[in-house]
Amino acid sequence: MNILGISAHYHDSAAALVVDGVPICAVQEERLSRHKGDAAFPLLAIEWCLQNARIEPDDLDAVVFYERPMLKFDRVLTCALRAFPQSWRAFPKAMKNLLGEKVWMRGIISSQLGVPGRKVLFTEHHQAHAAAAFLTAPTRRAAIMTADAVGEWATLSVGDGERGSNGTTKIRRFREIRFPHSLGMLYSTFTAYLGFKVNEDEYKVMGLAAYGKPTMVEQVRKLICRTPDGAFALDLSYFEFHTTAKRSYSPRFAELFGPPRNPYEPIDLDTAEGQRFADCAASVQRVLEDTLVELARTLHQETGLADLCFGGGVALNGVANARLLAESGFERIFVPPAPGDAGCAMGAALYCDRIHFGNPDRDLPDHPFWGPSVDGSELARIAQEDGHHVETLRDSALIEQTADDLAANRIVGWMEGALEFGPRALGHRSILTAPRTTEMRDRLNREIKYREPFRPFAPVVPTDVAGRYFDIPRGGTRLARFMSGVFPVRPEWKSQLQAITHVDGTARVQVLDPAMAPRLHALLEAYGQRTGIPVLLNTSFNLAGEPIVNRAVEGYSTFLRSKIDVLVAGGTRVTKRSSAVGSTEAERIREEVA
Amino acid sequence: MDSPRPHERPTAFDRMLTPVHRWIWSDTNRRVQKLLRFGETETDGGRDILRAAEVTSDPLLRRLYLEHAIDEFRHGILFRHRAAELLRVSRSHSNIGFQGDWLAPGGHGLDDLQVDGESDQTMLAFLHLSEKAAASRFCIYRDVMQHDPPTRAIFEEILHDETFHMNYTLTQLARVEPQQHKRHLWRARLSRLWKAYLRLATSLAAILGSILLTIQYFVLLPPFAWMAKRAAHRESAGWTAVSPTSSDSLNRQY
Repeated sequence: MNILGISAHYHDSAAALVVDGVPICAVQEERLSRHKGDAAFPLLAIEWCLQNARIEPDDLDAVVFYERPMLKFDRVLTCALRAFPQSWRAFPKAMKNLLGEKVWMRGIISSQLGVPGRKVLFTEHHQAHAAAAFLTAPTRRAAIMTADAVGEWATLSVGDGERGSNGTTKIRRFREIRFPHSLGMLYSTFTAYLGFKVNEDEYKVMGLAAYGKPTMVEQVRKLICRTPDGAFALDLSYFEFHTTAKRSYSPRFAELFGPPRNPYEPIDLDTAEGQRFADCAASVQRVLEDTLVELARTLHQETGLADLCFGGGVALNGVANARLLAESGFERIFVPPAPGDAGCAMGAALYCDRIHFGNPDRDLPDHPFWGPSVDGSELARIAQEDGHHVETLRDSALIEQTADDLAANRIVGWMEGALEFGPRALGHRSILTAPRTTEMRDRLNREIKYREPFRPFAPVVPTDVAGRYFDIPRGGTRLARFMSGVFPVRPEWKSQLQAITHVDGTARVQVLDPAMAPRLHALLEAYGQRTGIPVLLNTSFNLAGEPIVNRAVEGYSTFLRSKIDVLVAGGTRVTKRSSAVGSTEAERIREEVA
Repeated sequence: MDSPRPHERPTAFDRMLTPVHRWIWSDTNRRVQKLLRFGETETDGGRDILRAAEVTSDPLLRRLYLEHAIDEFRHGILFRHRAAELLRVSRSHSNIGFQGDWLAPGGHGLDDLQVDGESDQTMLAFLHLSEKAAASRFCIYRDVMQHDPPTRAIFEEILHDETFHMNYTLTQLARVEPQQHKRHLWRARLSRLWKAYLRLATSLAAILGSILLTIQYFVLLPPFAWMAKRAAHRESAGWTAVSPTSSDSLNRQY
């Protein structure tokens, strides 16, 4: 049975293909279209999935969209009515937006793919999040919590999932909190207030929070109060996201927290103003964590289960995830590699297979590598054409050479195998370098990633030695598998892991199982043999504002535009030669024509 | 002031609009918004040209596109930094009313060009015309910016790059298509005209749509808004139970 899952039209659209109950491939549209956060209908992703699996659209048994468009329309229209007449500016935009395309998903999918309308199905948004979290996790029974900005109406839901011994699967949602009361929107409002991009830069708020003190928790608690039934509600007088698309927060919000940050001014943490912004970030982060912990604790008491599957965009908050593990009572927390909307493509397809069609449960590969594979020969060809230094090496030689590069403080662009599905680079499209010094961190920020100095870099470490360098609690290894938890760096190693130790002494560590990425694991060991510390700094292979690279040629162009020293794709290793043929030819032309 | 080089002469149409441009750029708030928008346009254009570098099979074009893309990214940064400086001085904020965007579309951008599907010839012809149009426009901007020397210097610098971009795209087009490069330029001109028409038509349609929807909003919606508000008062905050049967069928869109 062939089932295609699609998520689109909000942010980060994606497609995923499930064949006979097992995911075959999945990719975000942005990785193919090269437009970061591409929300367009994911035609490229769909085409790639079908081509990769050698399946024609006629062979699809179902195409599942990750939310119910008319239910979403209902929410938008209802909110516009409730906000009458303040919503008069937002109303035409919202209607054109929805009626122009988004509510006609059955027709769009049917016409784009040439499949009959009866094959087009719809899950609810949080149902897809729940399925993505539970059905990809290696657990038989678990509580499920999903939280994001908003789906159709739900912003947070709790429930449970069970794989029966007879192969049956159940996913139940007990209850939900509905828009406009939303933890995701609360966090996004602060993201906007702090001058970052909503739906994109929330992780910057988390990074900034470590520099601040939660001195404004009481003010944040004015914005969100607990309801008698244990849920929460936002005080809407502080927000405008439900009435207008123009601004998330109201003048009252700005009165409470002070003037918002100008997005074009850098945050200077040495000034009182910069520190106020950091304190703001720390305060909302604290309230988010507290709320999640209380909700999860109640869910744990209610279900008595040891495992929690956590999905939705809020599950990308690694600091909150670590607190959930420490304080909610759950022994293990499973966050999928793509907990956000992109992952809903996979969740919707799996939900359709297990629940709608009632197909028996299958064990799924426990990795994030579902995208296109890199072709080292493509890199060799183009780099040779440009006259750069190219070597094609056997695996062992390549690992040794790369370990030498890293030990010599070179920055390596590392591409191997299939592309990651989800926002994290987990070792197949990574920039790797030595984690020892702050100079390396500053160099990466300044010369390669071109990003704010307050943002931390993440480490990758083999599972078996992770506990030596990081204080990973029981159950934390699972959370760290897909870089979903933030844990303390052990004090005795902080001085030798300066580049990946955040200002609060923590790191968003990835613990690497050799079966998941054997070559990277071998590289870590080879690097460890040279330096004594098998830990590398691992950051996504992209430049600011660009999606993570997919093909070798994209890695190559990133390599040429930045100060990455070495590029590895498959078995090909490239280093820059300043007198490269293409370079001199282009310079000659520049002189001639300018 | 040096006399302008031939490629730095604005078109007659742009010259005609000089007073409008002068008025638009005279206000600091409008200037900030324009610069920020140019910053985005240049960066977006840079990404598209970078994509062209990644998809071309011609090694020399790859290198030139890459340099071109780097220039565009740099222009984006120059515009953003200048806008930030002006913001810092003026403490202005976002809502500044009329900007005359339809008169002054700014940097070239790549419209809706699907870079992945285009041949080198089409791409070069398109880029050449875009750069030429941008150079003409930037020439006017530079000339009307005498009251703001730092911004003027930025346009001067970018104009120099645009000249290079304009020239290399033409010479490369002649290289990759020696016989028919003029035909490609004419096709690109027609394509730009068509896209301009589409932009205008969709803008008009959007304006008409907004007007009709706004009328409906005030005429038809009030009773429903009253009912929706009443319903909202009856709703209690907190948990809403999810019915076990609510998601039984995946056929429903509702």
